[in-house]
Amino acid sequence: MKETKNIVLAEDNTTLSQLLKFRLQKEGYNAFIAQDGKQAISLIEQHKPNLILTDIMMPFISGLEVISHVRNKLKSEIPIIVFSAAGQEEMVLKAFNLGATDFMSKPFSPNELIIRIKRILM
Amino acid sequence: METFKILQNYFQQLPIELKFVWILSFILTVFAIIFTVYLKILRISLRKKEALTIKYQKEYEDLLLSFLFEEIENNELSNKQNQFIKKIENEINNNFKREIIVETLLKLKNEVSGEIETAIQDIYLKSNLKEHAYKQLKSKKWDKVANGIKEFTKFKVKEAYPEIKKLIKYPKKEVRKEVELYLVSLFHFEGLEFLNDLKISLSEWDQIELLEELQKLDNQEIPDITVWLNSKNDSVVSFSLKLAKIYNKYETVETLLKLLDHKNQKIRLQVIDVLTHLQVLDAKDILKNSFKKRSQEEKIAIFKMFENICELSDEDFIVENTTNSNFEIQYLAIKMLKEINEKAFNYLLKSQNKFKNKELLKFVQNN
Amino acid sequence: MNTTTLNTIIQIIHYLFFSYAFLAIFSYVVLSIISAFETIDYFKKNSFVNYKKILSSNIAPSISIIAPAYNESLNIVENVRSLLSNHYANYDVIIVNDGSKDNSLELLIKAYDLVKINYLINPQLKTQPLRKGVFKSTNPAFEKLIVVDKENGGKADALNMGLNISNSKYVACIDVDCLLLEDALQKMVKPFLEVTDKKVVATGGVIRIANNSIIKEGKLMEVNLPNKLIERAQILEYLRSFLLGRMAWSRLNGLLVISGAFGMFHKKIAIEIGGYDTSTVGEDMEIIVRMRRHLEEQKVNYKVAYIPDPLCWTEAPDNYKTFVSQRNRWTRGTIEVLRKHRKLAFNPNYRNLGLLSYPYWLIFERLAPVVEVIGIIYFGILLALREVKWDYALAFFILAYLFTTLLSLGAIYSEELTYHQYKKKGTGFKLILISLLEPFVLHPFVLYAAVRGNLDYFFNKKKKWGEMTRKGMGNINK
Repeated sequence: MKETKNIVLAEDNTTLSQLLKFRLQKEGYNAFIAQDGKQAISLIEQHKPNLILTDIMMPFISGLEVISHVRNKLKSEIPIIVFSAAGQEEMVLKAFNLGATDFMSKPFSPNELIIRIKRILM
Repeated sequence: METFKILQNYFQQLPIELKFVWILSFILTVFAIIFTVYLKILRISLRKKEALTIKYQKEYEDLLLSFLFEEIENNELSNKQNQFIKKIENEINNNFKREIIVETLLKLKNEVSGEIETAIQDIYLKSNLKEHAYKQLKSKKWDKVANGIKEFTKFKVKEAYPEIKKLIKYPKKEVRKEVELYLVSLFHFEGLEFLNDLKISLSEWDQIELLEELQKLDNQEIPDITVWLNSKNDSVVSFSLKLAKIYNKYETVETLLKLLDHKNQKIRLQVIDVLTHLQVLDAKDILKNSFKKRSQEEKIAIFKMFENICELSDEDFIVENTTNSNFEIQYLAIKMLKEINEKAFNYLLKSQNKFKNKELLKFVQNN
Repeated sequence: MNTTTLNTIIQIIHYLFFSYAFLAIFSYVVLSIISAFETIDYFKKNSFVNYKKILSSNIAPSISIIAPAYNESLNIVENVRSLLSNHYANYDVIIVNDGSKDNSLELLIKAYDLVKINYLINPQLKTQPLRKGVFKSTNPAFEKLIVVDKENGGKADALNMGLNISNSKYVACIDVDCLLLEDALQKMVKPFLEVTDKKVVATGGVIRIANNSIIKEGKLMEVNLPNKLIERAQILEYLRSFLLGRMAWSRLNGLLVISGAFGMFHKKIAIEIGGYDTSTVGEDMEIIVRMRRHLEEQKVNYKVAYIPDPLCWTEAPDNYKTFVSQRNRWTRGTIEVLRKHRKLAFNPNYRNLGLLSYPYWLIFERLAPVVEVIGIIYFGILLALREVKWDYALAFFILAYLFTTLLSLGAIYSEELTYHQYKKKGTGFKLILISLLEPFVLHPFVLYAAVRGNLDYFFNKKKKWGEMTRKGMGNINK
């Protein structure tokens, strides 16, 4: 029996997050949206998702802190994909150092994102 | 009635200057009342506008998403597109609504690429949104013109090129900046042609914006920048130096070395920075020879450059500067000495008393 | 004494007072109009600027935020978190713990995984020495943070330490409890990068009062008008001075002060002129005046710019005691700075600085409370001698009151048209009410504090900063 996978998405652009939510739901995933790092962490702790998608630049707690919290405080190995605006190489490196699984630079193709998600959640 | 008569009598018997003062007070009171009333009206209208904006934003967002989502499902592109366009066409004529529609489209378009971006682009081109942008180009107000150009840039409307090109010499620099961004955004490096005969200064902010635009492209066909490096316009030189650094234009090294004698110190500093990034060993001798003639800032920059490429052959130069009066140079010199010749460094440690700043030595020793 | 001579003297005194008042009023009107133009201009130019591009750019210049802290343990962890969440790519945060007697350092070490590091400090400016040392985080998420623990030396001394430590091109000197909005750094650094015909050496920002606004985890959630009259009156005062005053001075290139709560400088120039002066309580004004003076002497074509956007929110005194203490300090600061740089007065070698800014500040800012007090005393004398011409007194007091009120209304109007920060219903009415009340509720205390300031300056040399009991912005929950 296949159980539905949960995904937490942290993104402050509402149009984008809605679009991604629809897309993810169409693929059969449960998507929970957070508007900032703090909300993301509370959703992660609440739903224990199978995958986390997070933007790096967010209000309150940045995406980097989310990764750090998940890996170091929650000691969890949940795969994390980060988005970053183009040109933020340093941020991306830091994200990987903190334990991110994959990254996609913005603007990105939602189709490609889905492919990567499927690969990770295989 | 009585009080009014009393007041009237009082006023009549006042000397002229006091009459004037009271009249002035009266005028100010009237102003104050008008202000107060107007303030109330203003606040109400602002509040309404905000509520409306939020309402429309949600509406258009949902509309757009439902269209896009269905489009993915059914692959009936044109049909759904036309439906969406029809829906918004009426609304477009209202300035307020149109702005929100454009904003909503861009909000998503800026974040995504691929099918969805193309779909949004199509909507823009097929609807008559761009007619309004064309109108703005012809406006007498410069901020409307700039806005129009910006819209064309964001939606990558190449057909607007002839109209926009005419504006390249517009008197307001904000408009010129938008034109430049348009050209670079759509035509990439070809769009930089305007640098050839640019007479006015390109500000740092503009340069950063242009470079960010250029960096978005994956396909980097960078043209020859030597012409720009030799430009009489210092800001163009500065811009091309940035290009040299970002795109690692090793082939420009000769020109760069010549620029070390440019009359503008800022340019010279920038050149040293680029040479540092490219790790050009050839520069070392030139800089060592002209070291004493250069300004303090340049000397510091030169030492920062040597930090990564110093060799034993530079030892004399470095030792000479371990007693340089400038803290930063001294630190770098001592640090480099330790790297290239530990013996000489230890010798230096022994004659510590020559140094006023013993902490400097200790720090390098321990790190 | 002859009655006619007495009358003539009285007449002259009256004319002097009137001229002063008239000139003051005239200057406010002119400044307001210039401010209005400058603000609208700024708005137009920046309405379609894409700040996001700059924030993620590696080519954007480096900025260090320097925040001195003294006994701030109540909020310091939250404040630092807020500073670290700014949306600029190329910046770092230098917290200078200025010999705090509390456990600020320990709290920071714990919250941000700090460890002591070996850091070579370039002693360009003389400061008090380090105490516990320099600390950085082991967690890459907090890589931008540097905490410096040093012996107490005062705010100016702490800022100078920050200047020594920073490796950036620009420094933003702030109060540690200031809430900076996410795009504050981009907006403040823009003048440095976009002005081509002059060298921008400093930019100042508007300080907004955060009392009663809701701040959670270092982010401004909701803007509310505070409840106490004294707080509201200060909001009005800040609006007047920032929106109707400083914008004009910026346009005239005559800005003499950038708020110590939030200002950005060209680091090299700040160090070149010797950093902050530790012997004055008005160090924020002093450094600008000295910087301008130095640049005028060097004949550099420079500009001090100003950003009207609300970028920095801070706590204002909510009781009269703290308020008076603060204004007392401001008064002493002004006197100290004007005295130190008196060479500038009416000196044509210093162009606008000497012929316009300094005289204006001297006559209408520094001397205003003095003139007012003399006026009150004079009125008191007339009252005692029963020489008061009540017709005149009444007419002019009412005119003065109306004028002040109108100016305040103008400030509110400006604010509504531009930033419209107070959106809740009923706030408009409350603001108008406070415009009517301010001359009674705030101004007397401003005057009193100024008098105390003058007295303290001349007769009481021991006074320094005074304490401001922290209420804790993070504790305000709805």
